[in-house]
Amino acid sequence: MPRTPTLAPMPTGNIVSLRALRKSFGALETIAGIDLEIERGSFVSVIGPSGCGKSTLLRVVAGLEPPSSGEALVNGEPAGDARRHKQVAMVPQHPGLLPWRTVRANARLLLDVNRKANGPTTSDPLDLLERVGLGSFLDSRPHQLSGGMQQRVALVRALALGAPLLAMDEPLAALDEITRSEMRGLLNQLVEGRGVTTLFVTHSISEAVALSDRVLVSSPRPARIVADIAIDLARPRRGGLDDEPGFFELCTQVRHALLQGAHA
Amino acid sequence: MIRTRFIAPVVGLVVFFGAWEALVRAFDVQPFVLETPSRIVRYIAKFPDDYFSAALTTMRHAALGFAISVLVAIAVGAAMAAWDFMEQATQPILTLIAVTPFAAYIASVKIGFGIFSDKPVVFIVALVSLPAFAFATADGMRGADASSRELLASVDASGWEVFWHLRLPSALPSLFTAAKYNTGLALVVAYLAEGGAGGLGKIGARAVAGNQGDRLWAAILSMAVLGTISLVLLNVLQRAVMGWHVSQRTQRG
Repeated sequence: MPRTPTLAPMPTGNIVSLRALRKSFGALETIAGIDLEIERGSFVSVIGPSGCGKSTLLRVVAGLEPPSSGEALVNGEPAGDARRHKQVAMVPQHPGLLPWRTVRANARLLLDVNRKANGPTTSDPLDLLERVGLGSFLDSRPHQLSGGMQQRVALVRALALGAPLLAMDEPLAALDEITRSEMRGLLNQLVEGRGVTTLFVTHSISEAVALSDRVLVSSPRPARIVADIAIDLARPRRGGLDDEPGFFELCTQVRHALLQGAHA
Repeated sequence: MIRTRFIAPVVGLVVFFGAWEALVRAFDVQPFVLETPSRIVRYIAKFPDDYFSAALTTMRHAALGFAISVLVAIAVGAAMAAWDFMEQATQPILTLIAVTPFAAYIASVKIGFGIFSDKPVVFIVALVSLPAFAFATADGMRGADASSRELLASVDASGWEVFWHLRLPSALPSLFTAAKYNTGLALVVAYLAEGGAGGLGKIGARAVAGNQGDRLWAAILSMAVLGTISLVLLNVLQRAVMGWHVSQRTQRG
């Protein structure tokens, strides 16, 4: 019998809390004391120069790296425990689809492992695949898909988990400009109204502004948050946003913060 | 294109066997040194049941040893890929097995297990095939996509789940490469180890002892046919299991 989603009231408050977070690999300090709160249901981008520690920050939040000092809490528990309880759904830069699995089976991958931690909020990957336009590719293999289609499968794989936090590490970086723009729209459509919180690492200023409620600007390594810019563009975000003066102003603001941060 | 694919090997084989036949006749080579293909075929045709049954026995010995070796190698290779200590401890043993001439210890193993038993033959085939399979498994599993490994770690997949969903399929390409090398090796080892245990090895050994060129070369040709059939079957299996892999879908040129 198919599970009917229950409409429970959306919890409020902060889903991610970082307190005096530091991370070093031996003598190499990558994160230098970050304090950060991320509100539930928001879309937060982290932008910064290459190698500044953005991805490390994401991996600490996802519970894949323990903090060297300080605290990383996700949904009220240490990030490592949140990972064990499937509270974070990762979307890596490369889709990481398994070439021997079909689209349908790849979309199910995160549900097929550590099953006991699957929560009541999991979604049917087939419905999501239909929503992202891959309904007629269910039995295709990854090599039969374009880069954009592969990234859509990766997105569905993460959303199907029903985790409250989506951690995305430059997932659109390898795509061409038109596909990137389409994927932005799709991402907005899928994430808005689902109550899922997104922590999004990117190099693209326009992408960060188009998608986010907040853009966090990182200094060069070791990472510190040098600017926290609220993006007050109306939701739902529609196509053609890039041509609006408000969008342009926010991009300029982020660019300046990035340049100032580079010399901080 | 497809026609060329089938015609080319046939032309190659016809030229090869024709040249063999002509050279043996032209130089009047002694039957024990090299027999003509036509006489070998005629000899097999006289005793088809004997050769068919012996070929099945040799195939069984090789296939059983091969299968045991794959299973052990997957366990050993997975441990090598997972733990550096295990790899460092296992590598010298596998190297020893690989470089020690198996023909030298066949007699000892046969005395240990029983001269007329299948067990020593299967054991030696499994042992000799092990290093290539174990190294291939370890290399393939270590090469599993880092992004996928991290993805599975992000939802706390167990070691078994990572093995089953990622590491084992990642090792398939190198396992099949090792299998192609080991197919010929397993048949050769089975042939040499058989002796009293039956199979084409027994026919070959008796032919050598009795100085019977016809009989010896009939066993050798049967082994060649067996090897060819085994490799064809392996290729069919690879195409069925690894249709997703680039090696199974890329056209040359």
